Amino acid sequence: MPRIGEWARRVWFLLTRRKRERELREEIEAHRAAMGEPLRFGNSLRIREEAMDSWGGRWIDAIFRDIRFSVRMMARMPLLTAVIVVSLGIGIGANTAIFSGFEELILDPIPGVDGSSRYLLIEPVTASGDYAGGASFPEYVDMREALASFRDLAAFRMVQVNVAGPGRTERIFAVLVSENYFSTLELSPSAGRLDFPADASGDAGVVISHSYGEREFGEATAAVGRIIEVNGRSVPIAGVTPKDFRGTVSGLAFDLWIPSALSGAIFPDSDETRNRSARGYSVVGRLDEGIPRGRAQEDLDRLMARLSSDFPSSNDGHTARILSFWRAPRGGGQFVLPGMALLQAVMIALLLAVCGNTANLLLGRAMSREREMGIRMANGAGRWHILRLLMVESLLFGIVGAAIGALLASGAAHALSNVRFSTLLPVRFDPAVDGLGLLFSAGLGVASALVFGMVPALHLAREGTLGIRTRSRREPHRARRALITAEAALAVSVLMAAGLFLDSFRQTLDTDPGFEPAGMLLASYDVSGSDFGQTLAPESGRNLLGSFTARLLEGLKSLPEVEAVGIAAFVPLDIHGLPMTRVRVEGYAPADPDGDLALTNVVTPGYFEAMGIPLVDGRDFSPLEDTTSPLEVIVNEEFARRFLSSNPAPGQIVVSGEERLRVVGVSGDSVYRSFSEPVMPFVYYSYRDRMRRAGQIHVRTRPGTESLLAPRVEQVVRGLDPTLPLFDVRTMIEHVETNQFLRRIPAQMFVVLGPLLLLLAAIGIYSVVAYSVSGRRSDIAVRLALGAKPDSLTRGIVAECFSAVGVGMAVGWMVVVVIYDHLSGGTYEPAVFVGVPATMAAVSIAAAWIPARKAMRVELPRLLNDD
Amino acid sequence: MLVLKVLGAGPLHGYAIAQRIHALSSEELKVEEGSLYPALQKLLVKGWVRASWSISGSGRRVRLYRLTSDGRKQLDHEIARYERMARGISALLEA
Repeated sequence: MPRIGEWARRVWFLLTRRKRERELREEIEAHRAAMGEPLRFGNSLRIREEAMDSWGGRWIDAIFRDIRFSVRMMARMPLLTAVIVVSLGIGIGANTAIFSGFEELILDPIPGVDGSSRYLLIEPVTASGDYAGGASFPEYVDMREALASFRDLAAFRMVQVNVAGPGRTERIFAVLVSENYFSTLELSPSAGRLDFPADASGDAGVVISHSYGEREFGEATAAVGRIIEVNGRSVPIAGVTPKDFRGTVSGLAFDLWIPSALSGAIFPDSDETRNRSARGYSVVGRLDEGIPRGRAQEDLDRLMARLSSDFPSSNDGHTARILSFWRAPRGGGQFVLPGMALLQAVMIALLLAVCGNTANLLLGRAMSREREMGIRMANGAGRWHILRLLMVESLLFGIVGAAIGALLASGAAHALSNVRFSTLLPVRFDPAVDGLGLLFSAGLGVASALVFGMVPALHLAREGTLGIRTRSRREPHRARRALITAEAALAVSVLMAAGLFLDSFRQTLDTDPGFEPAGMLLASYDVSGSDFGQTLAPESGRNLLGSFTARLLEGLKSLPEVEAVGIAAFVPLDIHGLPMTRVRVEGYAPADPDGDLALTNVVTPGYFEAMGIPLVDGRDFSPLEDTTSPLEVIVNEEFARRFLSSNPAPGQIVVSGEERLRVVGVSGDSVYRSFSEPVMPFVYYSYRDRMRRAGQIHVRTRPGTESLLAPRVEQVVRGLDPTLPLFDVRTMIEHVETNQFLRRIPAQMFVVLGPLLLLLAAIGIYSVVAYSVSGRRSDIAVRLALGAKPDSLTRGIVAECFSAVGVGMAVGWMVVVVIYDHLSGGTYEPAVFVGVPATMAAVSIAAAWIPARKAMRVELPRLLNDD
Repeated sequence: MLVLKVLGAGPLHGYAIAQRIHALSSEELKVEEGSLYPALQKLLVKGWVRASWSISGSGRRVRLYRLTSDGRKQLDHEIARYERMARGISALLEA
């Protein structure tokens, strides 16, 4: 304990040093006056100094002095300070932003739930090792009973329902959950109750989100007890979730939770609570304290083995895995994690490049401070003192840079959370720079300071006395060349990565999608939610559904503004992707014995015209009312090329499952799942043959007027069935842009970061050459006087600098090529692989040439007088 | 240690401490001001003495040092250590 008191006193004495010094002086004067022989008294100043030294911890004082000195230095060179601090800020900020994203995905995957990283998922796996697409409800019930190591297990499944609230009817994403869902997550309601009653009595209610409650009822508490209609069924609102909680699927935000007891009422066709083959549930829970995951996995393996033998039709050979929550195979995390990891690596390289550049700039300045350091050392400052002063400077740069970085990252995170990522899915990405993020920034700041501060500090501390200059000329030169090489390598890698991200984004803009997005409006409907849908019996309903769909098409076509209309089950470039199937063509041997893979969609006649996809051969589908002609398909050109050896397709027979279908037409190829995907063979089925309750309406009108069409389309639908909601009304252009968002964000980042990095590298090279040349002024002047041509001298200097840059660029280029090849093996876009290095080379040469040229104008007589 | 001992009797200011040490040591020991004041500052930092300003008998402003309870303990420690050391040295010299 005394030690702490002593330290506290030391700090206090240091802080009040001035006052104490005055008191000491007075005291010593009094002592001197009291002495008979005042002249015998020693040197007052030295006694004071020694007295204060005995406080110990003078080094704290020295550090404060160093800090003050550094701040003054930084103020005296505002431009250099600004460049260093801003470039550090950008480098650190970029890294912190991505780190916050990781932090959110992994450490806090379920916002609103405490300690959400402790939650685990159980995912069934098929015999072949693939994820089975979730558990079935009966399977979940077995798991809950058998796995004692979990505190509790809950099940949940994303569904789409029509909800008629007080204000309007809309189609939203809801979650079907087991009754213990909220208790497993240990959540308390913000209003009402979250524990669904255990029995499936008529009193079972649903739970809504806080924001939905505020949106629809003005205030969350007002929602409790109110009735809403879900898929036509009236249910009371039993409770409201806490404000921050939006569900247990990473990246998505939900508004409605439905207990499984109500699933029969809301999805009348579904037997999912009893059907072991109806998979799709995610199982989530927390382990009991102290129980290792291994034990739970063992229990799980035993259970799955038992189920496999008890229920072979649904569980044959199935096992299951316990996963950390962020590894959810069907969550948003898997979607973005690989891209984020890549981005983080690139950002670290960016920061290193910035450090290298800063080290260079500081080294340049260090050389101008040799005289200052020499004087200090002559006055008794040890090497350690010099080192400490320079490290304090560097740390100051680092901390300020980190502060700027944290601010930038915070701003970026804020901007990101406001972006509407998808019009279809309720995507929400909400990274924020919190305490851990700030710590990360600070850590990066300190680490960077150590990295770039070491070099000039070591150089200056090595300096002997004022006189020795020839030796010092060579050493920093080597150091600076090494720095330039490293910086060039890093810069070219980051710039090429930037170029690749930008290019991938550009591809999404430039690639001809094969259809005409401009002028198209999309809208979704699903009759299951309407009164009409409720009455449809599964079998006989087909005809009623068919005529409904036909009337819908007619109604839409009759609108004067509509040029063409079609309905399809799926829209290309959607996050959900497109279903795939295996088919065989009669008379042709398939390449794969199981059948050839093709993407599929189900469309009505008029679809191709509405989409602007040409029919290059054959014709469109027969009308929906035509019940006589045989089953039909339309294939795309790629399908014909691959599986029909380009023989004419119309008339061929395609076998899919049990059905034999006739090819009636060939469509042009278009973009299906993503812009960069190579063309896949495609099979279009007809709505007539594969009638569906739901569909996506595609209408074509004059470009620019699409959104105006929305209310007219709604009118037509209401005219057919007022209880049928229309949802997700958006233009095709909006839909396509949503698909591009994942590439747009890094592209936007790099549009700013790329040129900045290039500028930084240029500044670094400029300063190196300027400095090295200024040191050789006498040398140059003598040579000029002796008759050397300025041009050849300039070329020499530039070449010398460029050799360092060139080596660095070559190394960086090769690293990028190797990694790119390994990761994607895509095409080598010349704009990136040739253009970027060439640009950087040109900039480097220019950055070296300018100071070299300026040096040529030196005059000999003036020079000789200078030293 | 010497300063601590001298302050054991009561608070003193710097000059008085030097005088007292000289007097009580049968004029053998003389503390130079160059070592006194650094020593006093060290005692202050360690918390073994406390200082306060006051007016002396002759009307001058003086800084008085007084022993703290920690200081008293420290004094006992140092005396014990010194005596051990002295005994050891005597034993050695008589051997």
